[in-house]
Amino acid sequence: MTSTTTATATSHPATNALAQTLALARRSVLGTARQPVIWFPAVVFPLLIAAINSAALGRSTALPGFPPVESFGQFLLVGTLTQGVLFGGIIGGSDLALDIESGFFERLVASPVARWAILVGRLAGSAVLGAFQAVVFIGVFAAFGAPIEGGPAAVAVIILTAAVLAVAVGGFAAGLGLRTGSQEAVQNMFPLLFVLVFVSSAFFPTALMKGWYRRAAEANPISWMIDGLRELVITGFDRSAALTALAVASGLAALTLTLATTQFRRRLRAAA
Amino acid sequence: MSAPVETEGLVRRFGELVAVDGVDLVVEEGEVFGFLGPNGAGKSTTVRMLTTLLTPSAGRARVAGYDVVAEAPSVRRSIGVALQDAAIDPLMTGNELLRLQAVLHGLSTAEARARGAELLERVGLTAAADRRVGTYSGGMRRRLDLALSLVHEPTVLFLDEPTTGLDPMSRMNLWEEVRRLNREHGTTVFLTTQYLEEADQLAGRIAIIDQGRIVRDGEPAKLKEQVGAPTLTLQIDPDHRERARAELCARFGSERPALRPGEVAIGLEGGAAQVTEVIRLLDDLGATVEHIELLQPSLDDVFAEATGRRLEGADTDGAQPG
Repeated sequence: MTSTTTATATSHPATNALAQTLALARRSVLGTARQPVIWFPAVVFPLLIAAINSAALGRSTALPGFPPVESFGQFLLVGTLTQGVLFGGIIGGSDLALDIESGFFERLVASPVARWAILVGRLAGSAVLGAFQAVVFIGVFAAFGAPIEGGPAAVAVIILTAAVLAVAVGGFAAGLGLRTGSQEAVQNMFPLLFVLVFVSSAFFPTALMKGWYRRAAEANPISWMIDGLRELVITGFDRSAALTALAVASGLAALTLTLATTQFRRRLRAAA
Repeated sequence: MSAPVETEGLVRRFGELVAVDGVDLVVEEGEVFGFLGPNGAGKSTTVRMLTTLLTPSAGRARVAGYDVVAEAPSVRRSIGVALQDAAIDPLMTGNELLRLQAVLHGLSTAEARARGAELLERVGLTAAADRRVGTYSGGMRRRLDLALSLVHEPTVLFLDEPTTGLDPMSRMNLWEEVRRLNREHGTTVFLTTQYLEEADQLAGRIAIIDQGRIVRDGEPAKLKEQVGAPTLTLQIDPDHRERARAELCARFGSERPALRPGEVAIGLEGGAAQVTEVIRLLDDLGATVEHIELLQPSLDDVFAEATGRRLEGADTDGAQPG
């Protein structure tokens, strides 16, 4: 009688886990793609803010100490992308909280799915959205006269960094979602991200800031990442700038994934 | 091989609250087992322990021959689970969810496709397969949920309140599906329900749980036989009600919990033949009878006899079928 069930598990567990992760990633990408009301703001609002900033602050490029750019847009691209990814990244965590609220999480846990595939599948969705945002923003900015001097290699690094940063934010949001099981709690972290991006070099060079604000912005790892990517946009491809940006994003991701994993284990222990 | 479901002294505490208080169960292969009880009796908590979603505080349980704690992954591979308030992602289509479920159970893409099509056909959702679940009716969702729980041909199927909130038509469709599954595929079904009729209709054997303990178990017909006497239920004018109650109980049988407020219910030991005597007595007392009904023993009487309370009408959600 058990033969029917054992017969279904035909492939190797590791192959299964990979297929399960991909299937769950697909679900999370489709889930986001099918809710334009959720991803649309994460793509459009940062572009709107960029347009306003560009109109308001466009002439600041002439200030002494401002990086040598072709246009203010070239300066803004990376900041805008960072803002978009920080806001879009929480969707993954918020959706995970929703799965917990709705009971879909339990359905997954009651199936023989590899436990970590649940988390990885979820965050893969965040990564895809991050990469998508990067492609859109790079395209829009290029159309408005803000090309990337570093060429295809720089483009690739920017897209990759955006994806990794999205995983970092998604990991933090997922950790919060797993801890609280509440979608609302996850969405309430929005203001924190707001501070994180505004107290950084996202929209203005730190060299032109003053006092505590400048010190805070310079200490913000997001600034280091932004400055690295910005160099690729403004000046050209530079290996150490690319590595710095990727390292910051990866470091943040490692941190938040540790948090998410801890909370994930905790929830499984409490439940199972 | 051991029985599909076996528990011994199963206990689950939540802080001070003892939700499940020493449950012993054996469900035999090929059986449709009904776990009946009011809301909060411990039905879902028991199912959650049996499906590895919750660890028992004490006691042990084996499902499909595996220990639910030590061999949880094997249990998960062997069971199908359709939990209460079916959580089905509204953004996915029926087809997509079936394929996802198939992959989670380790089926290949080709197997998943074939199996998905077969199951959709079986639960009558082929035409809706490529529509998003958000557009489905409550009944369609439950049928999809059933299909999802069957993807890997489980040996034991857990259905936690599968028809709560469904209209009578959808309820009967689902019952038919469960019967067919059991008849044609021999699937063992562990069903929880708060509906007497559902337990009566589907289950070959039931256990009644109340406040975390099993108070009765056996075949529905046998349990009803044990209750014996039919229930005579009377609506008597308030002025004569108490007097009539006392006299009726003294002469015809013991009082039972009323079905509706203000009613008098007694177990009529002598059966239907005594109804004329009852009427004569009430007439002698000068009582006005507004309503009289003689009911054959039901599972509700079994429940009432065991707990001193009625299950029928105990809900406030009004979803109770007739």
